[in-house]
Amino acid sequence: MSNPARYSFVSTDSSLGEASFKPLLPLTLNYQEKSQQIIGLLDTGAMVNVLPYQMGVELGAVWEEQTTMLQLSGNLAQFEARVLILSATVGQFSSVRLVFAWTKANQIPLLLGQANFFMEFDICFYRSQKIFEVSPKNPNS
Amino acid sequence: MVSTELVEQLLRLNRLDKLEVIQLLVAELANEEANLLKSGASYDVWSPYDAVDAANIMLEALNAENSLNHE
Repeated sequence: MSNPARYSFVSTDSSLGEASFKPLLPLTLNYQEKSQQIIGLLDTGAMVNVLPYQMGVELGAVWEEQTTMLQLSGNLAQFEARVLILSATVGQFSSVRLVFAWTKANQIPLLLGQANFFMEFDICFYRSQKIFEVSPKNPNS
Repeated sequence: MVSTELVEQLLRLNRLDKLEVIQLLVAELANEEANLLKSGASYDVWSPYDAVDAANIMLEALNAENSLNHE
């Protein structure tokens, strides 16, 4: 079993005070021949992973070629979304396949949600210490 | 965890000083809570909660791709 990787909560807007600290995870996304290092927001309240439109374009994905349509909820309900499957690498761990709801929205962070980021990785949040730990799932699970 | 030494010092204080320490700590705690959220600020919430249908479609697509890769 791998040792967990530790990351710090990051404040993106100090004017918002203590609540501004977020669990932001650096990871590499791969699609066909292209690779991008990005930052994703760990969001346990998100039922699915969400990829902002421009990020998908920069990875070389073509909107019209993704034919499985989705309807998201909450603030993202107003935007069209389609399924896009990418490879993702976190730190030194083996890469995994992550399925994303590729949304037409742009002014949003990349969201890592229950399906399927939290199915692939075990996360411990130590918010009071502003750190979180990431481990790949138990291979026997 | 509060040190034994600190507890002993606090217990040696006279009544007035004990009350002053209590007031100081209560004010400090109230101040910390007030700084958690700023009045008038906007806090974004983007979570697609309850997107059950989307989650099922996405997981089926992932399983289908995995099945193709294993053939």
